[in-house]
Amino acid sequence: MCGIVGYFDKSGAGRPIGATLLSMLGALGRRGPDSAGVAVWGEAVDGVVVRVALSERADAAALGRELLARARRLGRVSRSAATGPFLRFTMGKVDVDALVAALESDGAEVVSLGTRLEIVKQVGAPQNLDTAFGAAKLAGTHGIGHTRLSTESRVDLSHSQPFWSHGIPDLAVVHNGHITSYHRLRRLYEQDGVRFYTENDSEVIGVYLGRKLREGASLREAMHASVRELDGSFSYLASTADTFGFAKDPFCLKPLLVAESAGAVAIANEEIALHAVLGHGYRAREAGAGEVATWDRGAGARRRRRVA
Amino acid sequence: MTSSRTRKLDADRLPVREINATIRRAAADGEREIRIEHPGARHNLAVAVLRDIRVAIDGPVGYYCGGMSDGVRLEVRGSAGWGLAECLLSGTVVVEGNAGNGAAASIRGGTVVVKGDAAARAGIAMKGGLLVVGGDCGYMTGFMMQRGRIIVCGNAGPALADSMYEGVVYVGGEIAELGNDTVVSDASAAELAEIQAALAHHGVKGPAAFRKVVSGRKLWNYDKKELAAWKAAF
Repeated sequence: MCGIVGYFDKSGAGRPIGATLLSMLGALGRRGPDSAGVAVWGEAVDGVVVRVALSERADAAALGRELLARARRLGRVSRSAATGPFLRFTMGKVDVDALVAALESDGAEVVSLGTRLEIVKQVGAPQNLDTAFGAAKLAGTHGIGHTRLSTESRVDLSHSQPFWSHGIPDLAVVHNGHITSYHRLRRLYEQDGVRFYTENDSEVIGVYLGRKLREGASLREAMHASVRELDGSFSYLASTADTFGFAKDPFCLKPLLVAESAGAVAIANEEIALHAVLGHGYRAREAGAGEVATWDRGAGARRRRRVA
Repeated sequence: MTSSRTRKLDADRLPVREINATIRRAAADGEREIRIEHPGARHNLAVAVLRDIRVAIDGPVGYYCGGMSDGVRLEVRGSAGWGLAECLLSGTVVVEGNAGNGAAASIRGGTVVVKGDAAARAGIAMKGGLLVVGGDCGYMTGFMMQRGRIIVCGNAGPALADSMYEGVVYVGGEIAELGNDTVVSDASAAELAEIQAALAHHGVKGPAAFRKVVSGRKLWNYDKKELAAWKAAF
């Protein structure tokens, strides 16, 4: 089943997005208790902010020190901290592909990377995200969240969502549904040298969008194309530092409710999650078949919608 | 009218099972109405209410609200999630806001009114009864319906009434795309009068004219000569 949520503050001012997402996920927890996570686009750093999941096999502290040393050989690391299995640090201008390759050479996995994107996720129910990582305190302009009921692949941190689209700073995705063309697309992309980190079919959405972005498409254009080119049942949310949006499959197989006000956009699979953070006076509607809508940060948070 | 003697139930901290049991007890005790406060968009509210009792829900509801009921008079002062009033046998279910996918799916009788928009697959496999949509309806509304009527005041989404067997769909606005094996014509004066009476009865404003969609009946029996139609339907 899985639950997905998203919140976009049109004012552009930072707000406790983490707490908002956790409230929404808490209301959807019964859609899947296997793992949970949030992605928040916070204040921009000069360079990149990186979160790495340390290998469960290795001595986490030693691996963390080793990874920081590798990062320092590629650029200036300014702040670093370790929380549980996560190492977080910021650094100045750096070749992203080289950095990811250096960090992931022996079992560690970069969970998120971008000027504004931060992802925390773990096995278990959404409530644990705050106790383990203080996720409620994450501030930003927008964010997405996921609570997982695993159906096809294993339950561990790596297979949890949101998924950062590896190699594309600030692009992350949450998905409810099943991409039935996953194996075909994965074969195709792997022939092209793409590395898949999991056996979770949802991962292919981020890979797909990332490839489109590398080819010069906007996120909005990539999402529109995805409705035609991905197969299966999906409601997904995708976002970069500047654009936030949702896409729904052409057969309307998965629920997705949207409530938009003058100040914000809230999205979830069930109204119960919207109700948890919007209270009263909002109007929710079910997204249509093949519908894509995106909102851009700044310039009055323009919204553009089209049904495929 | 809500009298001062109407029983009120604050649903805020109650399990759904207890809310529904309270509604059924009230109906069994012969109470005429019950009001549910703070529904919190939760699922499965007021399902399987098998008597004539007015249930007024003050706020949004989640999935399957009012499903499997027989004789209920249900009002939702908010929006509703997927599967609103599924398999309703008789009675009325009125939603002030929008409804999610599959509103009034498989109903056998009664009336379901969605004053806002109804999402995909509204009224699919209807076997009787009436579905009124004040706004627009989504993809595949009326798919494989077998009997009954759907009135859509606004626009209809793609694949409208695809592969319907019987029944009729009236649309006041634009039809994005007709489903397989459907025939469209203008509603007659007598039909328009009936539509307007139904809308007026539920306080829904509709346009003056409606298009009428019925089955083309080409898919009723397999016919080699209709191979192209069958291919399109599948």
